[in-house]
Amino acid sequence: MNLLNYKAKGYLGKKIAFLSIPLLLSISSCSEDFLVAEPELDISDVVIFETPERAEAAISGLYLGAKHGRLFGGRYLIYNDIKGEEFLNRTTNVVTGYSTYQFTNDASDTYIADFWNHGYLTINKANIAIAGLEANTSGLDGALVSQFVGEAKFIRALCYFGLVQIFAKPFVLDNGQSRGLPLRLQPETGSDNNELAPSSVGEVYNQILADLDAAIGSLPADYNDDEKNVTRAHVNAAIALKVRVLLAKGDYAGVITEGNRLVPTSAPFIAPSGISHRLQPDITSVFSAPYLTAESIFSFPMAATNNPGGQNQLGLYYNIGNGNLEYTVNTSSPGIFTNPQWGENDDRRTEFIGVEPRGTYFTKFAGVSPFVDYVPIIRYAEVLLNVAEAEAEVGDVNRAKALLEAVHHRSDAAYEFGTLSRDELIEAILVERRIELMAEGFRANDAARRGLPHESVGAGSAIPPTDNRYVFPIPILERQTNPAIGD
Amino acid sequence: MKQRLLCFFMLGILLIGSAYAQDRRISGRVTAEEDGNPIAGVSVLAVGANIAAQTDDLGTFTIDVPSSVTSLEFRYLGYISQTVSLGSNTNITVALATDATALSEVVVTGYGTQRRSEITGSTARVSGAAVADRPLQSFSQGLTGQAAGVNIVQPNGLLNNPPVIRVRGLSSLTLSSFPLVVVDGIPISTNDVSPNSATNNPLADINPSDIESIDILKDAASAAIYGSRAAAGVLLITTKRGKAGEARVTYDGWFGINNAVRLPEVLNAQQYMDHKNAAIDRAYEINPSASLPPRNAFQPSYDANGNLIDTDWQDLVYRTAYSQNHNVTVSGGGDKTVYYFSAGITDQDGFLRENSFQRKSARFNVDHKVTNWLKFLGNVSYTNSMNKSPNSGSDPGSAFNSSGLGRIAVAQAPNVGPYNEDGSYNVQNASIGWGANQTSLQFANPEVLIKEDKNSSENNRLFANLGAEVQLAEGLSFRTSYTWDFRLTEDIQFWNPINGDGYSPNGSATNRNTRANNWNWINTLQYQKSFNGIHNLNVSLSTDAQKQRTQNWGANRQGLIDPFFNQFQGTYNINNASGNGITQLSYMAYIAIASYNYANKYFISGNFRRDGNSGLARGNQWGNFGGASVAWGISQEEFYKNSSLSETVSNLRFKASWGRVGNGNVGAYNEYSTYGSGIYGGAPTWAFNRAGNSNLSWETSQQTNIGVDIGLFNDKIIVEANWFNKDIDNMILDVPQAPSKGIPNNEIRANVGSMYNRGWEFSVSASPISKENFRWTTNLNLGLIKNEVTSLVTGQQLAFSTGGLELSNVTVTGHSAASLYGVRVVGVNPENGRQIFLNGDGEQVQYLHLGGASAWTYLDGSPAVAPNTTPVVLGGTIPTWSGGFNNSFQYKNFDLALNFTFSGGNYIYNGSRAGLLDQRVWNNSVEVLNAWTAIGQQTDIPMAVWGDNVSNGSAWLIDSNIEKGDFLRLQTATVGYRLPTTLFGNSGINSARIYASVNNAFILTNYTGVDPEISSNGGDNLGSGIERNTIPQGRAFTFGVNIGF
Repeated sequence: MNLLNYKAKGYLGKKIAFLSIPLLLSISSCSEDFLVAEPELDISDVVIFETPERAEAAISGLYLGAKHGRLFGGRYLIYNDIKGEEFLNRTTNVVTGYSTYQFTNDASDTYIADFWNHGYLTINKANIAIAGLEANTSGLDGALVSQFVGEAKFIRALCYFGLVQIFAKPFVLDNGQSRGLPLRLQPETGSDNNELAPSSVGEVYNQILADLDAAIGSLPADYNDDEKNVTRAHVNAAIALKVRVLLAKGDYAGVITEGNRLVPTSAPFIAPSGISHRLQPDITSVFSAPYLTAESIFSFPMAATNNPGGQNQLGLYYNIGNGNLEYTVNTSSPGIFTNPQWGENDDRRTEFIGVEPRGTYFTKFAGVSPFVDYVPIIRYAEVLLNVAEAEAEVGDVNRAKALLEAVHHRSDAAYEFGTLSRDELIEAILVERRIELMAEGFRANDAARRGLPHESVGAGSAIPPTDNRYVFPIPILERQTNPAIGD
Repeated sequence: MKQRLLCFFMLGILLIGSAYAQDRRISGRVTAEEDGNPIAGVSVLAVGANIAAQTDDLGTFTIDVPSSVTSLEFRYLGYISQTVSLGSNTNITVALATDATALSEVVVTGYGTQRRSEITGSTARVSGAAVADRPLQSFSQGLTGQAAGVNIVQPNGLLNNPPVIRVRGLSSLTLSSFPLVVVDGIPISTNDVSPNSATNNPLADINPSDIESIDILKDAASAAIYGSRAAAGVLLITTKRGKAGEARVTYDGWFGINNAVRLPEVLNAQQYMDHKNAAIDRAYEINPSASLPPRNAFQPSYDANGNLIDTDWQDLVYRTAYSQNHNVTVSGGGDKTVYYFSAGITDQDGFLRENSFQRKSARFNVDHKVTNWLKFLGNVSYTNSMNKSPNSGSDPGSAFNSSGLGRIAVAQAPNVGPYNEDGSYNVQNASIGWGANQTSLQFANPEVLIKEDKNSSENNRLFANLGAEVQLAEGLSFRTSYTWDFRLTEDIQFWNPINGDGYSPNGSATNRNTRANNWNWINTLQYQKSFNGIHNLNVSLSTDAQKQRTQNWGANRQGLIDPFFNQFQGTYNINNASGNGITQLSYMAYIAIASYNYANKYFISGNFRRDGNSGLARGNQWGNFGGASVAWGISQEEFYKNSSLSETVSNLRFKASWGRVGNGNVGAYNEYSTYGSGIYGGAPTWAFNRAGNSNLSWETSQQTNIGVDIGLFNDKIIVEANWFNKDIDNMILDVPQAPSKGIPNNEIRANVGSMYNRGWEFSVSASPISKENFRWTTNLNLGLIKNEVTSLVTGQQLAFSTGGLELSNVTVTGHSAASLYGVRVVGVNPENGRQIFLNGDGEQVQYLHLGGASAWTYLDGSPAVAPNTTPVVLGGTIPTWSGGFNNSFQYKNFDLALNFTFSGGNYIYNGSRAGLLDQRVWNNSVEVLNAWTAIGQQTDIPMAVWGDNVSNGSAWLIDSNIEKGDFLRLQTATVGYRLPTTLFGNSGINSARIYASVNNAFILTNYTGVDPEISSNGGDNLGSGIERNTIPQGRAFTFGVNIGF
């Protein structure tokens, strides 16, 4: 080409000058950082354990993970109650548990998968926190680190216990020999280690108990803060959870030993150390704002900014008003409603039961829109009944009966149990649990830990432990990504 | 450019031709049929002699022809060629029609244009006329059947629901498979930008009437020009520009009527009550101890006049909808300046009540020659688009929305009505009132949802482009183009406190504001020269930088203090932040392109491109892409011209191309592992929310194309055939992680896996009849494609759940992506009416609802395990053949266009049918009247048992609800009439045409769902071929007018 001969030379200079404007701009826009775009609303994982404030926020993140509406903030409780005989499905909606209610769910059920997902998501967050805090590269205060690790282990134990109860056969059937869960204890942030064979039920229980023992050793006894004393783990909470785990193992002696750390031999039943946990005179106060009673050993808080969300809310399932009454109370046998131990004047009936044209409804979780009832995870009443059951099985029947009466008479002072044989006493305690802990997520697990069938009204028959529908199937994604998981 | 090409063309003719005696002089004028304006530069060819002329600026021509010539042919780019017999006439007036179907001669290739005959890759051009004057929201909906290898699925009849567009098949599994859309040079976003029930395809911000052409770049050699983001092909949209000459004014307007078609037939009130009561009786027989509604729970309700309430909910949800569209353009210019101005308004109502789309748009394009070496180009367009819709359950991901009207319209109980006798809504908390029934009804009252809920998504969009061209020397030019694409979107959602989704939160309002700022700057230095007409060289160097920053903010408010309020601005008890986000992406590229041809016989071209993408991991952000292609115009060879074959095959050209392109739609921040913030009770939290991948690099695809262009009988028939192979490697995949690892979302994005799309594309265009008073042009295009996933993470499969709820698809090595996944059934056991399933071991097991311990049994009655934990691959969802058959006829002043589309070879999961057979409180299709009732009865509908959602596939997918998706559709049929010019007198009107058109005139298919062109999961790569609870497609009639002044 012949640039210089093209028309007049003078033009070219002007043209090149003109050309240089965009070229200069072009070069400046191509500076080094043009392709750098970092997240502006999320924080890098490498700085999270650098300051005590952020480390504490990461620990609070563990609780937030566990209280997800699809885990302990809602559905875990609901699904354990609707597998049994106490509630009738009204809306036939698969999204609100209809297939679980009918025992027609399968491994592709996304809500059951979410128990697994959110459980393990929280477990991994705990594993990351434990590893990050123990490395403590930023030199955080040792006492603080110890407390945070204790909290992480408490949450990890809570999640593993929640999962092993619903995805594995009960410990008591074969002393924990059957297939349990993959025991993930290392932090996972990359693509490796998808394959991990499940440990046995017994091994999972051992890990849960080891975590709780460690937590008992490092958690504060008292936060001296009403809110934290209920919504953060402390020594009594870890002991109480351990009592529950031992009961699920059928280790009644262990229940009594550990239970004694929370329950005096005789009335008044007030926790002797740490926070002075005790029964509230009025059961409704436990389930009413501000939810921070001395009976509430551990609860997940709810607030408008962090509510369980949509179709996970306890009040939405059982209550009217803005609740959708997804499940009504089964007012026929074998539902607990007709049991004579649940008297007409029992506060738990007069305060929590209502009737309207669609059916009988349950208002333990009375808050509606916003559904911000705190979700009780461990109540002192449960601890008393746990110890009572163990005493009734292998120990002091008189203490057992005193504990049973403490719980029952709080709501129905006039009721007389009369003279009870040891078996009758055990039966009365189990019935009391169904009344006292109704809708708090105990029903299916209480049947399982005694090797009893789920008395399913949804399936129209009892589902015995030998039935493959007895526990939830391991979710399909775990089967596909972790071939070692087995069936 | 066009002029120059034509000169070149004519030069060739003159060189070839020998001189004839010229003994007759013909003169005349050529105008455009659409607006009556003269067309300059039309080539006028004497048929049978190598003589040609060209029209001038006034459209007039003169040509001397020998007496042997009896007809003239008129050819002009973008118009249908016309042959006019001469008779004794020496003065001829011709009106050329725009060419919507035939292959055109020039294609836009991104960073420039090329003559079709020089193209060595595979491209297709669709004229703007194909998408104008149709009841569409965006041009993308009008591409169906227009080009071989371009498959379009309109998910359903929801207005402005983004169509699923696949150019040569599925391009990725995790990243977008939607082609890159480039409007006048700037790549723009293509996904639904609305978070609520009103779908908002931002492509609708471009007025289809403003589109001059849509060029589709299919293979890597063509698309590699957009290397980094061209893996799924490229759609290049060129808007109309002015033409020199007197100012031209056009008005186009239409009015349309739209109705839902192929609605399912459901039980009426009496049938419903009888059927449900019988199902309850049967449930009691099976299991007397089950908890069931009372016998005869379904009771008739009567209105004030004592008539049985028998509500056809489809009548209430759907309507006859009316639409109108108006568009005015003014264009023209002189030697130095040409301009195009348009203003349009469209107001379309959907057949779903309260579904509407409105757009107001204006565009101004101007080209100005400042000096003989400097030219400015500018475009400005401003659009306001308003999308409104109730919850249809038909936008992607919402198939199982409890307020989805697609399902409620068929599943709501017919024996209750929308209103109580006192005129109030018939409601019972969140659901419809029971009427006389003695059991709860499940779904909300659709009348309340339609009238009281609000969903909208509104765009205000500005496109502004400023470009300059500097002629540096002969053949050497520099172009710069800066485009600013700025979008403000306001999303509004209000759920009423009376009934439906808003009942439980006591009213809920969610608003979101989005500010999307997108700029793009391209600089190109181009050298283009022809040496003696033998060596033709075209070389260019470009830089391309683009930055997109999107900021969202919004809030959710719940708990109305008074039902008086029906808007976000009212007073609520709870106020939470919602929908907040900041995303930034930047792209940078350097491009070199060279092409050379020797005497139009031998073609070679290549391009190289280096691309940077901020979304990839540092260190891997830059990738190298490119392509090369060769072609041989054998018909230009002397030996060929002398062969007898040349008399039949007038043009024959072979071409081959190879290229490597990337998929840059990776999104932002993939490298980073992060913690997200939140609140626990009242305490601040940070929690692990993303596992990044610091090794993430480009997903690439290698594409090969081998093709032949054939012209028969003096190019009266043009055939194009291509074979292609698209190998996608290093695929970016959200690799599923074992959920027990606790990785957020159970996935980590990594370069894993591979897949191919292979196939053939054929296109035949012809003008079988080209007489003065009668013309027929036709195009048949067909694409054949096979998709197969060749590797994934070892042993893994990608499962997909429709609406997040129903496992429906699986992507697994050795099958096409997104295959259907479920359980096989054998049929209904005539002995007991139970559905028989095949379990993973191929054994037959039957289901008895409420059967307790014996719910699942082998046929001999022994207990069995439910078969649903072992689903199997049931069929591919990607059509293996698709295409179009487009015809246009012209008889005197009448014109007729018939565009057929066809597609098939795929399977569709008719999940809506599963719902229609569900034995809960839902209403059923009339199919249940064939349900098993007596021993020995042969039927495919199992015995009806109250509450049963397993036997019929409503709990999990069974293959009796899978059907073939083959169809032939008359997509559009249009009849037009051009009014005689004598009518216009002194009115100033040059031309006027009236027309009537029908969209979706009919469909031939064995598919029994609402439409075989369906996608409940929208454009999700892993979830195609699913119909679940969606509204149907519509049939639209439009009546319009085109006037030119």
